[in-house]
Amino acid sequence: MASKAINGQSGRKKVAMHDGFLKHAGYRWLKISAAIMLVCIVSYMFIDVSPRHNGGSWYGYTLGTIGALLILWLTMLGVRKRAMTPGSWSLKAWTSAHIYLGLSLIVIGTLHTGFQLGWNIHTAAYVFMMIVIISGIVGIYFYVTIPKALSDNRDEMTETEMLENLRSLDRQLHEAAQPLSAGHAALVLQSLEQDPFGGGFFRRISGRYPDCATRQAQADLRRERAYQPKMGGDDPLDKVDALLEKKEATLARVRRHLKLKAMLQVWLFVHVPMTFALIAALTAHIISVFFYW
Amino acid sequence: MTFIVRQIATTADGREIIRSHPFAADEIGIGRSTTNAIHLPDLAVNPDHATIRKRDDGQIIVESTSGQNFTLDGKHRIAVTVDPSAGAELGFGGHVITVSEEGDDVVLTVKRVEALSDSAEIRSESTLYTLKGLLPGKRISAWGFVVLVLAAFLVWPIYSWATWRGVEERPDQFHADTMWSSGALSSAHHALEKDCQACHVDAFVTVKDETCLTCHTGDAHDHAAKPRLLAARGDPEGLEVIGAAFASAFNKPPGRCVECHSEHEGAGAMEPTAQKFCADCHDGMDGRLTDTKLENASDFGIAHPQFRPAVLVSPGGKNPPRTRISLDDKPTENNGLKFPHAMHLSRTGGVAQMGRRLSADYGFGDSLVCKDCHTPDANGVRFEPVDMKEDCSMCHSLAFDEIGGTVRTLRHGEPEMVQADLRAYYRSTGPSRPINLGGMARRRPGAGHEARVASDYARAVRFRPSRANLAIRQVFSPGGACFDCHGVTPPTAAGRVDYGIKPVSQTDRYMHNGWFSHEAHKEESCTSCHNAPASKSADDLLLPGIKTCRECHGGEFQKTADVPSTCAMCHDYHADDGAPWLIREEQKDKQQKPDRQIVRR
Repeated sequence: MASKAINGQSGRKKVAMHDGFLKHAGYRWLKISAAIMLVCIVSYMFIDVSPRHNGGSWYGYTLGTIGALLILWLTMLGVRKRAMTPGSWSLKAWTSAHIYLGLSLIVIGTLHTGFQLGWNIHTAAYVFMMIVIISGIVGIYFYVTIPKALSDNRDEMTETEMLENLRSLDRQLHEAAQPLSAGHAALVLQSLEQDPFGGGFFRRISGRYPDCATRQAQADLRRERAYQPKMGGDDPLDKVDALLEKKEATLARVRRHLKLKAMLQVWLFVHVPMTFALIAALTAHIISVFFYW
Repeated sequence: MTFIVRQIATTADGREIIRSHPFAADEIGIGRSTTNAIHLPDLAVNPDHATIRKRDDGQIIVESTSGQNFTLDGKHRIAVTVDPSAGAELGFGGHVITVSEEGDDVVLTVKRVEALSDSAEIRSESTLYTLKGLLPGKRISAWGFVVLVLAAFLVWPIYSWATWRGVEERPDQFHADTMWSSGALSSAHHALEKDCQACHVDAFVTVKDETCLTCHTGDAHDHAAKPRLLAARGDPEGLEVIGAAFASAFNKPPGRCVECHSEHEGAGAMEPTAQKFCADCHDGMDGRLTDTKLENASDFGIAHPQFRPAVLVSPGGKNPPRTRISLDDKPTENNGLKFPHAMHLSRTGGVAQMGRRLSADYGFGDSLVCKDCHTPDANGVRFEPVDMKEDCSMCHSLAFDEIGGTVRTLRHGEPEMVQADLRAYYRSTGPSRPINLGGMARRRPGAGHEARVASDYARAVRFRPSRANLAIRQVFSPGGACFDCHGVTPPTAAGRVDYGIKPVSQTDRYMHNGWFSHEAHKEESCTSCHNAPASKSADDLLLPGIKTCRECHGGEFQKTADVPSTCAMCHDYHADDGAPWLIREEQKDKQQKPDRQIVRR
C-alpha cells in the first residue's frame, strides 16, 4: 500500500507517497479528535451543572456552539473538494479532518443534549446529525472495502471497455442470429434490446436482475434444443448460444461493477441531503431556543 | 416500370453510402433472408416478411406473407395499397422503407433507423455507471429537506405563536410551538404544557418574573431584596463567565425566578433547592455583603454557624420581645415561671413519691417523665404550651374547700378572683365550733370556762372575715400555691393584699428560619438532646446546640454521617411557617406510598 520514498539524500524528508485519508499524517486527526472527545467526556463528568446537565447551561452552550460551528465547517468539505490543493491543508488532510472531527461530533452533540431527548425539534436536530454521521461511517466503510473488490472485478478493464465489450457481443449476436427463424430471432432480439444499465435502483444495488433477457433467451434456446439431436455442420444456434453465454458473463461483471459503484455512491445520497436537513433543523433549534428564551 | 431499391448505410463517422439495385420484376420480397430483393439484416424482421406487388394503375400493394405486421406511416398494417406518387413510409423492425416515384420507376429507399441493440445506442458514459436518474438527485432532495424542515420546525411554530398572541388561555389542541419544548414541565405546571405563551410571552424575551407572579400571587415572596441577592451572589467566576456572557448577550438579566426554577426538566415534582445553590451566596457571604448580620454557611457538617434561637427578653403580652442569641453565649430565658426540671424529673424525693402515689389516677411511672407534662401538638412537630389545669394540677392542687363532695379550687390565672374567692370563703364560713360550747356535752365544772369558750368563739366569729387577708397573703407568699410557681407582684401599698402574678410566656418555636420536627426525631429520647434532668432553674434554656445535631447530621456530602443533610432539610428559599419543600415532598411521598419503606434522610 503505502510506499515511502527511499531514505537518503536529504535524510530528513520523508514523504508518504500514498497513504489514505484515514492514515493521513500518522493519524493526526484521529489523535486530535480523540483528545477532543476525552476532554469533553472528562469535563462533562467533573463540571457540576445544576440542576443537571442540559443544553442550556454554560457548559451546554459551549458544547453547542462548538458543535454548530463544527457542523458548518464539516459541510464546507462539499465546497472544498471542488478545489484541490496540496500541502498540509490538502484535500486529503481536509478529508481526514472531516472524518475524525465528524466522529468527535458524536460525543460533543450527545453531551450537549445532556441525555435529555424527547419528541421535539432539539432531538430532531440530534437525530439528523446522527443519521449524517452514521451514513458517513457507512461511507468510510465502503471506501475502505469496495475499491479492492471493484478492482478485482474489473480485471483491468475500463468502463469504456466494458461497454464496448457489450456492444461488440451485441453486434456479433445480431450477425449470428441472421439465419435464425422468427421465433429464435425474437429471443435474441430480447437480449439485444434490453438496457444493460436499466432496472432501477434496487436491481442496481442488489445486483439481482430476475428479468434478465439474455439469461432468459439462453435458457429458452437450451430448453428447446436439449433433446434435439446434433445435426452436425454449422448450426447457427450453436454460435448464438456461445455468444449469449459470453454476453451473460460480461453482464455479470458489469452488474457487479455497477453494484459496487452504487454502494460507493449511495451513502452520499443520504449523507448530503441529511446534512442540509441537519443545518435546517439546527437553524430551527437555535432560533427556537432564543425565540422562547 | 421497375423497382429501384436504394440501401443507405451509415459509416462509423456518419457518412452515408447509397447503393442502388434495380429489379425489373412485378413482385419483390422483403425479409431477413438474403433471397429477398429487399434484404433487411434485422432480427425483428421475418426471414420472408412481405411482398411488394405492382398494380396496373401504378399503385403498389404491400402485403405481409409471414403474418407479421409492418407499419405504414407509423400505423400497424398487414396489407396496404400505396400510391408511389403520393409517397409513403413503411416500417419493418428497425428499418424504414421510403416509397417514392421517379419517372415510371418506384423507388424504395431502405435505411436502418434503430440501433441494432440497446447497448449500441449512443450514451453518456460519464453518468452511465452512476446512480444518476435512479435516485432523486442530491441537490433537489437537499433543498427539499431544507424547505420541509424549516417549514415544519420553524415557520409553523412561529405562526402558532403569532396567531395566539394575547390570548389568555390557548385551547386544548395541538400547537406547533410545543415541538420546541425541550422536555416535560414539572407536575405543578403540567396544565401549561400546551400553552407555551403562558410563560413565553414575547419573542426573544426571556420569561419574566411578572409572568410568574400573575399566578403566584401569595407564595413567592422574595428571599431578600434583589440588589442584596445579587450582591451576595457576586460576579460569575471561572467558566461560569461563559454562561453569564451568553445571558447578557441575549438579554437574560440575572436574578429571575426561572434562574432557579428551571423548567422543562421532565415531569415530576420540583427538586428541592440544592445545597450548592444556597452555598453560592452564603459561603463567604460576609465578604460580598459586608453589612449582613448572617454568618457564613456552606455545609451543615463543615461550615454552619451555631444556632441563634429567638430568646425571650421579658415575658408577657401577645408578642413578647425576643432577641436572637447564639447558643454559644449560653443564653438564659425568664419565661415568668419557677420550674426546676431536675426536681421534677428526679427519681427520688418528694416529687417522685407523689407521682408514685398518684400513678393509679394519672398513669405516672416510678418518677415523672417529660411526657407527663409536655403534650405534642397535632402533627407532632412541636409541643402544646404547658397548661396548669391539664399538666400541673394533678399534683399542684388549688383546692381550698369542699361542699357536699365537690371540691372548690382557686381560679388559675385570675389573681383577683383568687382573692375574692378566699374572702367569700371566710365570710360564709364560721370557725369550727368548740365541742364544749352549749348543748348536752359534758362540761368542766365552773361557769368561768364556759363563758371564756363562748367569748372566744364569739370573737372568732366576729373576726372570721378578716382572716381572709392572712390566707391571701399566705397563698401569694413563699410556701403558698401561687408563689411556688409564679413570680408575684407585691401589694400596691402596705396593709393591702392586692397581689398580682407576673406574666408568663411560653415559646413554642425558637428557630423561625430553620425547621425542626420532634416527630421526625421520635426514635431519640428527649434527654439525648435536652439536658432537663440537670436543670435546676427554669431560666435554663434547654435547647441543644449544633454540636448535638452534628452527632447524627452531617453535611450533604458526608456520606459517612448517620444522616447526610442538605440545607433544604431545614431551610427553604421561599420559607413560610411550615415545613420545607423537601420534607413536604417526602411526606407526600409517604402518603402516596404507605407501604414503601421510607428511608429517613
